[in-house]
Amino acid sequence: MVAIASFWDERKLLVFVTLIILACAAMLLELAAVRRGERSPFDQFVPAIVTPVQRAVSLTFNAVIGEIQTLAQAGTLGRENAALRQKVQRLASANERLKDQARENVELQRLLRLAQTKSTLATAADVVGYTPEAARREIAIDRGWRDGVRRDAVVIDDRGLVGHVIDAGGHDAHVLLITDPTSSVPAYLRSTKSWGIVTGTWRRVRMKYIGQDVKIRPGETVVTGRGEIYPGGVPIGTIREVDRKDNALYQTAVIDPAVDFNSLRRVLVLETR
Amino acid sequence: MEALNAADVHERLRTGSGRRDARLDPQEAEISVPPSFGVLCALMFVAIIVQSTVLQSVSLRGAHASLVTVLLVWTGLRCGVVAAGWLGLIAGLAEDALGGSGTDVVGTTLAGFSAGLLSVRFFSDSLPVFLTAVAGATFLRGLAAYLVMEIGLGERGLFHRLSHEWAWQALLNCAVAAVALLVMRVAAHLRRERA
Repeated sequence: MVAIASFWDERKLLVFVTLIILACAAMLLELAAVRRGERSPFDQFVPAIVTPVQRAVSLTFNAVIGEIQTLAQAGTLGRENAALRQKVQRLASANERLKDQARENVELQRLLRLAQTKSTLATAADVVGYTPEAARREIAIDRGWRDGVRRDAVVIDDRGLVGHVIDAGGHDAHVLLITDPTSSVPAYLRSTKSWGIVTGTWRRVRMKYIGQDVKIRPGETVVTGRGEIYPGGVPIGTIREVDRKDNALYQTAVIDPAVDFNSLRRVLVLETR
Repeated sequence: MEALNAADVHERLRTGSGRRDARLDPQEAEISVPPSFGVLCALMFVAIIVQSTVLQSVSLRGAHASLVTVLLVWTGLRCGVVAAGWLGLIAGLAEDALGGSGTDVVGTTLAGFSAGLLSVRFFSDSLPVFLTAVAGATFLRGLAAYLVMEIGLGERGLFHRLSHEWAWQALLNCAVAAVALLVMRVAAHLRRERA
């Protein structure tokens, strides 16, 4: 009798089937929660543990980077003499801290002015984390519904539009960035008032459905149009290039976002209208 | 013609006709014990935290390195199907809870399980096998995420843009994997030296 060697022995098969069933069930739960705009049970449980750790790591990392930069600057002065070097290092370190505070002050003043011009209530929040995988473009902020942050609230920083809140927990919320391909923002060109829809392309954003007769110049500013979620007049970015085909109904423009999404630190969440 | 007796032939074959082959000499080898599942979960937690904070400032044409993928593949090759499959499921759930919206869990589970299947066929410490598995797992995870976005979330026309990102991410992941494996080898070597 010949024994048939099976690669898929019974145990592996059982594990595989169990894992696939559990993974599909979890995926369906998540998708259903996304469609309802709510949080799945995992979304309520995991961020409660992870967000404080993310916040601590982000703060530590930023502090370490700041110190490294400070030391690098102080290092160039260290050639003069050892005593002076120590003094300069202390001064440079203190100077950097002051600069940071000054920068932060300017940033907060700008945010405050922006909030006042929008004549609406706003909540300042720190960015504590990004989505771990690149398929979605989302950030986590350290303010939730206990702080007045609601689903669909618009998020901006001092340079322009960041995105909108897609779900809010007690002390944290997830923000869908405008660079995510599932994001759609009504927008218009500031100079010609021509409307279109801005969607994400992961690294940049693209303005679609611009009429063929509209003349678009690179460098033009694109701002949000007043819509169901978004207030009007928030800068989105500037036109980088235009894709115009004679046989197409509309033209499309590639936009450089006003916001640098890789260095987001503090944002402002506008109250849901 | 030279006449050979049996004992003489046996002796010549055993010694390779007088030439010694260094590869046949006994070498000291370390028996590597796979980490426990608790340790793997702790490592995965650290990987997710680092990936969602520190590593976001490092990108290559918009793609970020995925420590989760590298750790999953390493677990698969080192610990087998069961541990890697469960770890993939847990990692996917955590990633989705942190903003994946359901696009990650199936991909991570499949990636972990597939890497575990390789462990019975290939030597787990082989760098080429590890790198190939990491690249494959990156594409597998990307493809699963794409299918969920296309079918589950109704987003169309993402393949072209996503596929470019997978390629860059695979490159970054392979670089991380190579560095990690080399660091582990150096650490093991140093441990042996000390012993």
